[in-house]
Amino acid sequence: MLEGELLDGYAANAPDDEMVDAQGALRPDYRELAETLGGWSLEEYEQRKTRADLALLSAGITFNVYSDEEGTERIFPFSLIPRIVGAEEWKGVDAGLKQRLRALNLFLSDLYGERRILKEKVVPEEIVLSSPGYRPEMEGFEPPLGVYAHVAGCDLVRDESGEFVVLEDNLRTPSGVSYVLENRTVMLRVVPDLFPRWGVQAVTDYPNQLLATLLSVGPEGSDGPRAVLLTPGIYNSAYFEHSFLSQQMGIPLVEGTDLTVGDDDCVYLRSTTGLEQVDVVYRRIDDDFLDPLVYRADSLLGVPGLMRAYLAGNVTLANAPGAGVADDKVVYRWVPEIIRFYLNEDPILQNVETFSALIPSERDYIKAHARELVLKPANESGGYGVLIGEQATEEELGATLAQMEAEPRNWIAQPLLHFSTIPTFDEDRLKPRRADLRPFVLSGEETWVIPGGLTRVALREGSYVVNSSQGGGSKDTWVLNEEPD
Amino acid sequence: MLSRVAENLYWLGRYLERTENIARMAHVEHEVSLEGGQEVWHSLVSTTASNELYWEALLESPGLTHSEFLLFSALNPGSLRSTFVRARELARGLREHISREVWEEINALYLFLSRRKQFGAGDVHELCTETQRRTQTILGLYDNTVLRDEGREWFRCGMYLERADMTSRIVDAKYHILLPGDDSVGGAFDRFQWVAVLRSASAREAYRRLGYSEVDGMLVAQLLIFSVEFPRSLAFSVQALARHYQQATAEAPKRRRAGAERRIALLNLDLGASDVEQVVDEGLHEFIDEFQGRLIEVDRAITEDIFRAEPGRVAQVRLVED
Repeated sequence: MLEGELLDGYAANAPDDEMVDAQGALRPDYRELAETLGGWSLEEYEQRKTRADLALLSAGITFNVYSDEEGTERIFPFSLIPRIVGAEEWKGVDAGLKQRLRALNLFLSDLYGERRILKEKVVPEEIVLSSPGYRPEMEGFEPPLGVYAHVAGCDLVRDESGEFVVLEDNLRTPSGVSYVLENRTVMLRVVPDLFPRWGVQAVTDYPNQLLATLLSVGPEGSDGPRAVLLTPGIYNSAYFEHSFLSQQMGIPLVEGTDLTVGDDDCVYLRSTTGLEQVDVVYRRIDDDFLDPLVYRADSLLGVPGLMRAYLAGNVTLANAPGAGVADDKVVYRWVPEIIRFYLNEDPILQNVETFSALIPSERDYIKAHARELVLKPANESGGYGVLIGEQATEEELGATLAQMEAEPRNWIAQPLLHFSTIPTFDEDRLKPRRADLRPFVLSGEETWVIPGGLTRVALREGSYVVNSSQGGGSKDTWVLNEEPD
Repeated sequence: MLSRVAENLYWLGRYLERTENIARMAHVEHEVSLEGGQEVWHSLVSTTASNELYWEALLESPGLTHSEFLLFSALNPGSLRSTFVRARELARGLREHISREVWEEINALYLFLSRRKQFGAGDVHELCTETQRRTQTILGLYDNTVLRDEGREWFRCGMYLERADMTSRIVDAKYHILLPGDDSVGGAFDRFQWVAVLRSASAREAYRRLGYSEVDGMLVAQLLIFSVEFPRSLAFSVQALARHYQQATAEAPKRRRAGAERRIALLNLDLGASDVEQVVDEGLHEFIDEFQGRLIEVDRAITEDIFRAEPGRVAQVRLVED
């Protein structure tokens, strides 16, 4: 089955792979794809790849790299071979994500309200209240429909047993969905012959679903609410996505200076004909920069008075300020308890086993087993500051453990996951490379999960780092319409 | 339309027009200075109002030539390249308001200009002609691929206001040779210069087509200032500005649009009521000076009353006008 210029030798070294099982046999979901690819020559592959890259470059599908002075825009490396997820399996992931987001939104609502979960000591109070994502000014305020995380991106990986587990939640301003949509467009154009007979689930509904979500959470009494997308501007790394989404939804893309808060505590857009009221702000700037009157006074990105207007109930911010407390890497450790507490259900999607350095017994465990663990600072993103025990030098390990002792609240540890690999082109053929998956979950009147999401893949052999800022690439993710027979 | 977007489209129009003008003027000056055996670049540096900057830049980068300063240097915020880089930055933030074709062509010229690391006299021709050709392509694509909405009208407003300003600078830089002089009237060198002025404004063919048989300074000035048929003249540009401004502000409340509207209308009337003899009698340089001052007022009125209007400030303007 696994034959051809691109596939030869693939199965020999792929113990945790999604295309082949531990015995090297082809899995059913990948059968059609492997048959087609088996007939491809290296030259055929390279021609397709060139066409795909050209399409991405000329469309200007780029992201900014802060440290790179020369051209600040680069194409997000795109890997042509799709990642396949079966229809049945996806139903479970879909249900698990909906359950998780329902529980996290209830958690946030409780936290800024009654605090039942703290009073009943299900989650330690000091962890929640010391989280940098916690916003005291949100106490006692309930956003429309009780939704805080309107747009969430949950990072999943397949563990050794082959199950998808949640690695982390992103509840503030998760990005990447534009690549999901653009990657699919490119695939349809460049490799139409790879698509399976029964097709794959469409992702193009995302902008419509997002707009419907935003409009469903308008302030009470707003008739035909008006939404805008608030961007930090063209120098932001995700600017392309902001522009893309506002275009797809047909709502204005605004910067902080385009908005003003009137004496009536309502938010207005400055237009050439006058001021126009805004009801919902899909903001893609961090809490810290939202409103210089409340948060960072030196911020030029935000809108003075925006929080006043928000807390007066005259405008909805999506996501809500303070949602970040629920994606704190330490709070993550308690998400299974959170799901049980509010929903009285067992979690459908599991967490990765996590130890918090704040709990003495778990801290001792981390110190004793540091070499088998991955140590993560709680409030960094993009893979910065992460230490892989197995690969660290004595000095690095010592330094990190000392930091952990000094600030136990800030550190967690997880076992090194040998998460799954998927076929990815490298040099002259397909090779197994590790990948994660970020599906996007929308919460408003309804909860909706994009079928699939952004697959990010480590492009180097043995690497576990899939972040685009550190050299990862992306792939189109195909959730099959039906199980192959 | 969002005020910032309108303002940025207006400036995109201005910067693209300015880029094209600098390329055209520099190309002509380059050839004139080769044939005429004279260093005339310095007059171009004066035309773009950057004399002092040049001397400052020279301190930082000894040996910097006038042509490099004017076309290529990052030390000159008004150089051809700096001007276009600003246009491209604006376009990046306006992608949902311009077409993909326009964006890709802007990006292509940007790549052309930024790939080049060195600059010498041998590069002037290619740099100028390529920039001219591509900016013209961008403007043409804009016309044919971008939705004809309010944003397009602001783009045109910026373009024509800039054109009026640039053509007036060309006339001003050469007014001494356009004027009837005491001794060298009709001399070969003057004719050579007049032709250069026409070429700087892309006006040589137009001048011939209008049936002027000999090259005469007064006629050149007449064409560049007063001709309503020639699309780069002051009169034509101001008329076009008036038309596009009216369309751009069709939905705007009167108190917002009135300030610039009145100023443009007066400028238009004054141009229509005058001619080249009168202007020369009263002083060509003074006329151009006043014209440029009035363009600055139009720009200020558009910026303050429309792009950056605060509710309070517009109310005050209204009080004054009532």
